[in-house]
Amino acid sequence: MIHDAQMDYYGTRLATCSSDRSVKIFDVRNGGQILIADLRGHEGPVWQVAWAHPMYGNILASCSYDRKVIVWKEENGTWEKTYEYTGHDSSVNSVCWAPHDYGLILACGSSDGAISLLSYTGDGQWEVKKISNAHTIGCNAVSWAPAVVPGSLIEQPSGQKPNYIKRFASGGCDNLVKIWKEEDGQWKEEQKLEAHSDWVRDVAWAPSIGLPTSTIASCSQDGRVFIWTCDDASGNSWSPKLLHKFNDVVWHVSWSITANILAVSGGDNKVTATSDHYTRFAMFLEPDEN
Amino acid sequence: MEELDAEPPLMVVPGADPVARQLCFAWGPAEVLVCETLFGRRGGSPIPVLRPIPGPRSPSPTRSPSRPRALTGCVAGTGEGGPSASRVFVVRKDQDIYIQTLRKLFNESHGIFIGLQRSEEELVGKSRKAQLVQVSKNYRSVIRACMEDMHQAACKFFETWPCCFFQVSILSAMELIWNLCEILFVEAAAAGPLLLRLLDWVRLHVCDVDNMVREVLSSENPSKHKLFWNVVDVFVLQGRMDEARHLLSKEASANPTSVNMYKILDDLMKKMPVPSLGNTQTLTEMELKWQHWHEECQRYLQDGTFASNSHMESICKILLGDEDAILEKKELMTTWYHFLVTRLLYSHPTVKPMELRFYAQSSMDLFLGGESSPEPLDTILMAAFEFEMHQVIKECSIALSNWWFVAHLTDLLDHCKLLQSHNLYFGSNMREFLLLEYASGLFSHHSLWQLGVDYFDHCPEYGRVYLELHIERIPLNTEQKALKVLRICEQRQMHEQVRSICKIMAMKALRNNRLGSALSWSIRAKDAAFATLISDRFLKDYCERGCFSDLDLIDNLGPSMLLSDRLTFLGKYREFHRLYGEKRFSEAAKLLLMLMTAHIAPCSFWMTLLTDALPLLEQKEVVFSAEQTYELMRCLEDLTAGKSDKQKFQVDDVETMKVEMLRLALARNLARVIVKEGTLEGS
Repeated sequence: MIHDAQMDYYGTRLATCSSDRSVKIFDVRNGGQILIADLRGHEGPVWQVAWAHPMYGNILASCSYDRKVIVWKEENGTWEKTYEYTGHDSSVNSVCWAPHDYGLILACGSSDGAISLLSYTGDGQWEVKKISNAHTIGCNAVSWAPAVVPGSLIEQPSGQKPNYIKRFASGGCDNLVKIWKEEDGQWKEEQKLEAHSDWVRDVAWAPSIGLPTSTIASCSQDGRVFIWTCDDASGNSWSPKLLHKFNDVVWHVSWSITANILAVSGGDNKVTATSDHYTRFAMFLEPDEN
Repeated sequence: MEELDAEPPLMVVPGADPVARQLCFAWGPAEVLVCETLFGRRGGSPIPVLRPIPGPRSPSPTRSPSRPRALTGCVAGTGEGGPSASRVFVVRKDQDIYIQTLRKLFNESHGIFIGLQRSEEELVGKSRKAQLVQVSKNYRSVIRACMEDMHQAACKFFETWPCCFFQVSILSAMELIWNLCEILFVEAAAAGPLLLRLLDWVRLHVCDVDNMVREVLSSENPSKHKLFWNVVDVFVLQGRMDEARHLLSKEASANPTSVNMYKILDDLMKKMPVPSLGNTQTLTEMELKWQHWHEECQRYLQDGTFASNSHMESICKILLGDEDAILEKKELMTTWYHFLVTRLLYSHPTVKPMELRFYAQSSMDLFLGGESSPEPLDTILMAAFEFEMHQVIKECSIALSNWWFVAHLTDLLDHCKLLQSHNLYFGSNMREFLLLEYASGLFSHHSLWQLGVDYFDHCPEYGRVYLELHIERIPLNTEQKALKVLRICEQRQMHEQVRSICKIMAMKALRNNRLGSALSWSIRAKDAAFATLISDRFLKDYCERGCFSDLDLIDNLGPSMLLSDRLTFLGKYREFHRLYGEKRFSEAAKLLLMLMTAHIAPCSFWMTLLTDALPLLEQKEVVFSAEQTYELMRCLEDLTAGKSDKQKFQVDDVETMKVEMLRLALARNLARVIVKEGTLEGS
């Protein structure tokens, strides 16, 4: 049973993770599928995988029911475990890499209610920051905001790191979507978005297309998908809009790379892709009845 | 966000089992991954399913292309594995870009598109219109050329590629629609020429009867051929009077009894007034003439002139625009729009553009007669006749599997200043939206992406950001490709992307142990941290092997040396070696010392540097001055003093020996130099 499948940055490799505790990597160029690696290390079903940006090399993160987060790296043609984090008390449900501009940082959401942030500091060392009790009962999803530098029109002198404001969104079993912001090296809860009436299953922060608005999609056990938008740069006022109410649990939402299509996966066996444009086309994918 | 206004098309994922699985998905850069899974995974055991993958569904040519039919059966996950096997499907929206024969379409239309964007905006009125019509014709000829190629491929490969014929019919439909749009919108033909254009349009596109025509004409005795009258009818229906008359003359010579009838009919056909393209007559004049002629035909018919020959009588009725007579020849017309044009020819040749919609609707109703319902193609053409441009574009977007058609057509119509600005959710207009979609689709192709760049360039609002997002996702398989992508980014001042790409290439080179390449990429990326890392590797290599790799690169670093301290050290250290090699010892000595005193060299490297100083200390000629020697001694002491007591005990013999040798050499040098300097001062 595959729980997640993710394409790498270029669409040349596919990583899948499964309840058989394995993480598999395939080469899918030219329509083929060649198994490159079968990674073992987890002791329970693996829920999610996430590829890091290629500038850091070939790096993949996986999280599992066994409370572990493992970071895998390809060195000299072979894939190996490069870091293992065991700081959670319960199943880790979601992993998401931060925008590459921030460095190599991984956010992990767990059923113990905490969110941990693992930052690579060099020489094989990782620094951990933990947000305890981010969501009561459990955190189901994490998603980073795209990197936007304040005053980004000014070119920074080389070697100097610009002052990014790091943010990410999380969804949890407390029916809330929360937005977290880093201030002075500490993570603080910036916003609490309330609209769902049941567990939030997934959140997805839309990629930036240069507009001053920020957009987040969230989906929940209550069958609703909300689109949250914030117009001002300070991130203070978020307003939800109901995209649709489905008849069943909605498990997964995800934006295309130019944020013009939101794909939604529901318990009623369909994947809906909706495009909020002129043609308003939507594509339902459903299993063959035959 | 409003509700969807049409039921979305359903796309079935073949092979996915609805009972055992739910579908989960993820976006790739250009595709969607769909995999069977079971949500609610907390508790609940996976249900094992093993199913063979069915073959690709071949679309039937009679059904219009109304679905995004691009589903590749790429499956990952263990097919051969045990009971928990499940599969991942890769769903792509736009497979057309992978069809070889369509490549020409994309490439050449790209050229036409760019030409149009850059064309003279100062031309106005007639010359501008002529220019735009020419562009439209160019697009159509590209479609037709592609159709030819596709047709040939279809004939050749129809066994392995049954969908080729389907593609031909799609291209043909596209050209049909485009041609009509050209007549109605781009050229905006006025009453009079409008009919002539429509006649040309019909003649060009209703080819089902061509074989029959050819057969009859090439037979020995055409007038005896059983399909003779059919062919005459075809000519009449299409307004090809001369050809009809020519055939009829054969019939006349074969049947002397009907010579009279023939002469009259021939005369009528010869005299039929048609709108002229030039300004030789006004519409009113033409209408008048036509009225007269119409009445003359009427008289002959009512007099029973053609009563003895049903064929000729029917032709006369057609000339009079008798709908029933025309409808009788349904099979020869094959389409309602042929019927429409024939009707107009024989009843309203001076039809005005705005009147078309009424005739179109009634023609379709009469022709289809409630037996069949309109196909998507019919709906599109109807929308065109009704001058509902937005509707045409919308219907085409839904019906076609590829954005190519609507993107280019809309762009052309936009240049004709025909599209009102239609505000969308993001605020961009329809032209831009379609171009963005089309260009985005190109980016998943390994070479067509370059065309996409130009399209984004001509989208003023979102083109740039779309390009930024897409260009980063192009796989940089070769250095050449990376350089190509970089050039594009640099030309557009996309600094972030340049940096990102250079970093990626540097990392790749480093993983493949190509240090020189990695270094030059990280310099280009202005990535100080990475440059430091690579410099360290170089230095490590030197320590292990005693020589440098990639000397050319290091020697020619120039000002980029300053990117990182370690890099500076690397460059300067190499310079030291060069100076030594050129026997410029005092300069080498000075440099060596400076590297330590100015703290350019990392502490870990000082031992190596001091060891490098040894040969200089042992030279016949004194190289280091007294002051320099004191400095060296101080450095050595700093180095050894820094070690703790514990370390002193662990230092191996080689280390201790080195230190001793250095102390000795330094002392000897000091002795010599004091004497030398003392002597100089003395004399």
